[in-house]
Amino acid sequence: MKNNYGNKEVAFSALAGVLYALFGLVHIIEGLGIDTGLSGMLFIPGDILGGFCLVVIGAVFLIGFKEMLQGLNAGVSFVYVGILMSLIFMAVYLLIMGGNLLDSFIVPDDYEGWSVMETFRPGIYLGLLSLAGILYWRDRFSLNEVLVFREGA
Amino acid sequence: MTDKITVALTGNPNVGKTSIFNAITGSKQHVGNWPGVTVERKIGKRVHNDIEMEIVDLPGTYSLTAYSLDEIIARDFIIEEKPDIVVQVIDATNLERNMYLTTQLMELGVKLIIALNMTDLALAKGDSIDSEKMQEFLEVPVISTIGSKGNGIEGLLDAVADELHKTRVTENIFTYDSDIETRGEELEKVLNNDPYFAHYPSRWFSMKLLEGDENILKKAKESESYPEIEKILNELDADSFEAKIADQRYKTIQTMLRQVCDINTEHLSGSDMVDRVVTNKALGIPIFLSLMWAAFEITFTFATPFMNIIDIFFGWFAETATNLITIPWLSSLVGEGMIAGVGSVLIFLPNILLLFFMLSLMEDSGYMARAAFIMDKIMSKIGLHGKSFIPLVMGFGCNVPAIMATRTIEDTRDRLITILITPFMSCGARLPVYVLLAGAFFGRDAGVVIFSLYALGILVAIVSAKLMRSTILRGEDAPFIMELPSYKIPTLKGSFIHMWERGKIYLKKAGSIILIGVVGVWLLASIPAPGSGGVFASEEVYGTTNSVIGVIGQIIEPLVAPLGFDWRIAVALLFGVVAKEIVVGSMGVLYGAGENEDTLSDILAAGAMTPLAGLGLMVFTLLYAPCFACIGVIKRETGSWKWTLFQLAYGTTLAWTFAFAVYQIGSRIGMLA
Repeated sequence: MKNNYGNKEVAFSALAGVLYALFGLVHIIEGLGIDTGLSGMLFIPGDILGGFCLVVIGAVFLIGFKEMLQGLNAGVSFVYVGILMSLIFMAVYLLIMGGNLLDSFIVPDDYEGWSVMETFRPGIYLGLLSLAGILYWRDRFSLNEVLVFREGA
Repeated sequence: MTDKITVALTGNPNVGKTSIFNAITGSKQHVGNWPGVTVERKIGKRVHNDIEMEIVDLPGTYSLTAYSLDEIIARDFIIEEKPDIVVQVIDATNLERNMYLTTQLMELGVKLIIALNMTDLALAKGDSIDSEKMQEFLEVPVISTIGSKGNGIEGLLDAVADELHKTRVTENIFTYDSDIETRGEELEKVLNNDPYFAHYPSRWFSMKLLEGDENILKKAKESESYPEIEKILNELDADSFEAKIADQRYKTIQTMLRQVCDINTEHLSGSDMVDRVVTNKALGIPIFLSLMWAAFEITFTFATPFMNIIDIFFGWFAETATNLITIPWLSSLVGEGMIAGVGSVLIFLPNILLLFFMLSLMEDSGYMARAAFIMDKIMSKIGLHGKSFIPLVMGFGCNVPAIMATRTIEDTRDRLITILITPFMSCGARLPVYVLLAGAFFGRDAGVVIFSLYALGILVAIVSAKLMRSTILRGEDAPFIMELPSYKIPTLKGSFIHMWERGKIYLKKAGSIILIGVVGVWLLASIPAPGSGGVFASEEVYGTTNSVIGVIGQIIEPLVAPLGFDWRIAVALLFGVVAKEIVVGSMGVLYGAGENEDTLSDILAAGAMTPLAGLGLMVFTLLYAPCFACIGVIKRETGSWKWTLFQLAYGTTLAWTFAFAVYQIGSRIGMLA
């Protein structure tokens, strides 16, 4: 039976899975009070729950990677759902960033010395990868009344 | 001359029955309750081809076996009221399960029309259905519809008009194995000889008896011929007959489906693909927790600027009103009582609306049904059903609609336990108390404290459910049967409507009961206590022990003194039973904080209350008696004052015990000193 995915899906799931899982772990480690030295450089502050979410997204991609390596057609489901989840979290972090920015105009006294980059999170820039993915595979996502993933590598 | 007929609309849940009902009746609808129960009854009217049709929207059911209240209502209506036509709405993307109900309706011998709905979605899935062949096979009209777009509605109404004067017999269309048929015929003979059963289709009734339907057995027991029926039933194994009958119905359906449709099984559908991930054994719960975290993060973080805008507006409004009104007592009533009181509640409107919006997105997309599915295993461990999960999550927004949502739980014990523990899910109305006290005493750790309170509420609910299940509400676990609808991209409009429907309850409360409550608190705080000799609303009286409220507070103070609360807190908690939002408003009045919430926070932090008592107060507010609206809905849904009073007593006892433990143990070990 012909596979409904190609090398691009396999490579994408491996890359996204590793990145999300790693960045999520750094979030958690920083949240436990251990300095990884990556916090400032990669905008990863300590955040146990936020880190857990990134690890979950990473796990979704990695399970898809594993299943596709095993030749399971349905493994591609994990790639598509992983992309959707990472975009949801990208939107969440962007909304939080926007909310903070708006609040800094409303109550400027509370935000003295604050920079919008303080709320910049890996969930935003990692989401760009998924954004590229959804654009590349846009013909497989149909945003009609029903969510439809079309087949075809 | 115009004919008047009744058309019953039936079908499984989530098959688009409401869309079809709305498309047929437009705005000519009447919504009420079925007699004696709290299940919604919708009736609409439509005139078509000179026929005046009264359309009755029956509750969604999977079968006509009396497993749930909805099924009993639907079945009794069809049998007792004898509608002229029954239209069964079928989800074209899930024919096999939907047609189980068809087999039962046909056995009932009703004039049946099938509305094959959501045909567009079936087409998108790659399925093809030959409705004409289906019609030939079933010998009932099959009309393709797309309820959400109003397609096929005229054709459906034409079919109703055509069918009216036709005679059809569909009772014997399904034939069972010889042992079932033999027993069925024996029972039919008994039934046909007893006038008591003349009202019921004998074949259907006999099959229900063979299935062991309790409701039907109860009816049979009232007949004179019951000993004969009992004799036949005693000779067979009821459980195996029930399974055999169901099995043969499904076999008949499968045989027919192979001939009338071509289901695309080559590739997974979008919904199947998503389900493969979100209901995955290892990932299902972590994904759900992640999405809930995202919903709460948006609710509490993104809402902040909007809360500040409301805060600034009410601050300005109170100040302007106070400056404009020259009569001191009136200025105090309007500024410190009405505006500050309502403002302290409305400030949380963005949180409430955002939380409801997030929950609407989850529900409208179809994800919430999966959340119930993946949580079923955990829920059953604590003695609950997976379906209990949705009302409990909704309880984070408001307990009132959450308790109403328990109507979907078939098992009465499961439903009762869910109703009794839902008030422990921390609703939006308690949030102002947490934000105020956690902000005042715990600074940067306020978020952790608030999160812990939500966790404590969940823990208490779990332990209570387990306790009730193993003591006063013992019973076997009900199986998990729930519709998992296709995923849909939720429309912004639809989610906004759902958010608004729930959020407006909060807004209405702010403008009615809370306004009255805070004015009541202000009045009692302003009226001098008998014999005190004070002047109405004067500084010596207002919010002091010289006021009526002060006297009331001092009477009940001994009850809460072991928890570290003074008379002001006692009064605030007492008024909090009217609506939890009043707790903060009352504290503002009683601590003389007026319209500025920061001031109340400062007053508390400056020594008016200890951090330990503050923590105890948050715990008490989480667990004690719910608000009036919630008490009312518990009474309505349980139909019992006994269970309503049990919830109040149980919750308040727990609240007192937990707050006592926090304060007394904390004091002894020097916690938060």
